[in-house]
Amino acid sequence: MYNDTLDYLEKIYEPDLRNLLKRCYQCGRCSGVCQLSKVQKYAPSKIIELILEGFEDRVLESGELWDCLTCNQCLKDCPEDINFADIVRIARYKMRHFANQNPDEIVAHKGIYTTISEIMSRPYITPERSLDWVPKGCKISDKGNVLYYVGCLPFFNYEFENLDSIATSTLKILCQIEKEPIVVFKEENCCGHDIYWGQGKLKTFIKLAMKNMEMFEKAGISKIVTACAECYRTFKVDYPNIFEDFNDKFDVKHVIEYIYEKWKENLIQFHNPNKKSEKIPFTYHDPCRLSRFLPKDNNIMEKVREIFKEFKDLGYDFNEMEHNQKNALCCGVSSWMNCNEKSKALRYKRMLEAKSAGDIMVTSCPKCRIHLSCLQDDFEDIASIEILDFSEFLINHIKLIKPDIKGEEKK
Amino acid sequence: MPKAKTKVIRKDFTPEILVFCCNWCSYAGADLAGVSRFQYPPNMRIIRVMCSGRVDPAFVIKALKEGADGILITGCHIGDCHYISGNEYAQERFGRLHEIIIKQLGINEKRVRLEWVSASEGKRFADLITEFTNQIKELGPLKVL
Ligand code: SF4
Ligand code: SF4
Ligand code: SF4
Ligand code: SF4
Repeated sequence: MYNDTLDYLEKIYEPDLRNLLKRCYQCGRCSGVCQLSKVQKYAPSKIIELILEGFEDRVLESGELWDCLTCNQCLKDCPEDINFADIVRIARYKMRHFANQNPDEIVAHKGIYTTISEIMSRPYITPERSLDWVPKGCKISDKGNVLYYVGCLPFFNYEFENLDSIATSTLKILCQIEKEPIVVFKEENCCGHDIYWGQGKLKTFIKLAMKNMEMFEKAGISKIVTACAECYRTFKVDYPNIFEDFNDKFDVKHVIEYIYEKWKENLIQFHNPNKKSEKIPFTYHDPCRLSRFLPKDNNIMEKVREIFKEFKDLGYDFNEMEHNQKNALCCGVSSWMNCNEKSKALRYKRMLEAKSAGDIMVTSCPKCRIHLSCLQDDFEDIASIEILDFSEFLINHIKLIKPDIKGEEKK
Repeated sequence: MPKAKTKVIRKDFTPEILVFCCNWCSYAGADLAGVSRFQYPPNMRIIRVMCSGRVDPAFVIKALKEGADGILITGCHIGDCHYISGNEYAQERFGRLHEIIIKQLGINEKRVRLEWVSASEGKRFADLITEFTNQIKELGPLKVL
C-alpha cells in the first residue's frame, strides 16, 4: 500500500547539510543561549561555520554532535530560524552510517529502552502489552473512534515506579468524558521518537511509523489522544512529514488540549473536594517537545496556564519558574542520550527553580518526570518536591457538567 | 499483524543460541561437559562473565535484536555464588526482564531462560543445552516473516 522505506527517507533526510544552513549569518546567538554550553564547551554556531566552510567530515568524525541535547533553545532564539537540532538529527544518521560511529556507550540504561523500540519496529514482532493498569469500570476496545496512545510507559515499569498512574489517570479522564469505549492497543508499538532524534536510525523510525499507520487505519480511529509530550510532537509534526495526509486522517491531541477543549465546550469543570484553607503553591515544567518543538501557532503552553489559572479558587497557587514556557530548562536526557554529570547539573538547576516556585511540579512528559525524579534520590534538598504528570494532577479535580443542569452550574 | 507461530520442527533450522556462563560454576560445568565428552548441539555460543549478576538485561535485549533465537543465562546455584549474592540479584532482575519486557514485546518467554549449573554438573550442562536447543527448534526462528 505504501511505497517503501527509501522513498520515505528522502522526505526526512537531507544529504547536504549546507542546504539547511545557508541563511546563518554567524551572529553567534545560538552559542550564547545553548543550554548545553552552560555545562560544557559547546558552540553550535562554530559547528555550523565548519559545515558551511566544507568541513562537514571533520564535524561528523569528531562525534561532537552526539552531545547536543536537541533541546531547541538555539532555534527559539535564532533570528534566521536555523533548526540546529534537526541538523543534529540528520547528522546522527550520517555519523552512524557513513562515519561508522556507534554511540552505544552514551545511551542511558545501556540502551535497553532504545533497543526495545527498535525491536518493535520489526515486522515479526507483535507486542502483547500488559493492560493491568486499565482502571476498573473503564471500557476499552480495539476498534473505535478515540485512541488513547499510551506510549512506552508499560516498559518503563522495568526500572521506574508509579508510572502506571499516568496511564490510569489519563484513561480515567477519557472514560469519564467520552461515551464510547476508548481504543487502547495491546499491540501498540513505540512512536519512534527516540530512534528519530537520538539514535540517527531514520529507517527504523520509518518502519515504526508505517507499522503504526497500519494499526491506526485498521482500528478505524479518527482521534489520537496522548499524555506523552514526545509522542504528541512525533505524531503532530514528524509523521506528517512522511505521510502527507496524516493530520487529515487523524486528529492528534495532547491530553492538555483535550481537556482544554472539553472545558471550553462546557462539558467539564474543575473542582477540589479536599480544598485546604492554605493554598498549595505549584509550578509547571514545560517539556521541550511541547514548547519549543511545536509550530508557532500551537498554543498548548498558554492553554495549560489558562487551566491552571482556574485552580486559584481551588486551593492552589500557580507560580512560574524562573525559566518558563519557551525558555524552560531542559531535563538534559532527551531520547535517553547523555545522562552524565553535566546533564545532572542541568537537572539540579531545574529542580532548584522548581523548589523556589512550589511544592508540586506538574509536567506533561513522562520522561521529564522520570529523569527529574531520578535526581531526587541523589539530593536531599530537592527530595520534597512532588513531581506529577498533568493527568495525575487533574484526575481528582475534574467534574462532568450534567447536560440538564448545565445552565445553572455555569453561574 | 497475524503472528506466524510455527509448531512444526523444521529440519533445516539451526537456531542461534547464546549462553551466558558465570566464571566460577557454569563455565566450569561447560568445561567438564567438554572434557567428559558429553554430546550436545553445537549451535550455541558461550559468553563467559564473572558472575550471572553481570548479565545486564540490556545484553539479552540486544542479543534478541541482533537475531538470537534463544538465550540461556546460567550461574551458580543459589547459595553457592562466588560473590555471595550475585545470582540472587540476577534472579531478581531476570524476573523483571521476563515479566515486563520479554512478555510485553510479544516474544515467547521460553526463548529466554535462567538456569543454575554447578562446576560438577557437566552432564547436566550438556542435557540442558540439548533440551533448550530442542525447545527453540520447536518454537522456530524468532524472525518469521
Ligand atoms: S543564531 Fe542562527 S543565525 Fe545566529 S549563528 Fe546561530 S544559527 Fe546562525
Ligand atoms: S539544541 Fe540545545 S543543546 Fe543543542 S545546540 Fe541547540 S541549544 Fe545547544
Ligand atoms: S514518545 Fe518516547 S516514550 Fe513515548 S512512545 Fe514515543 S519513544 Fe516511547
Ligand atoms: S536521569 Fe536517571 S532516569 Fe534519566 S536516564 Fe539518567 S539515570 Fe536514567
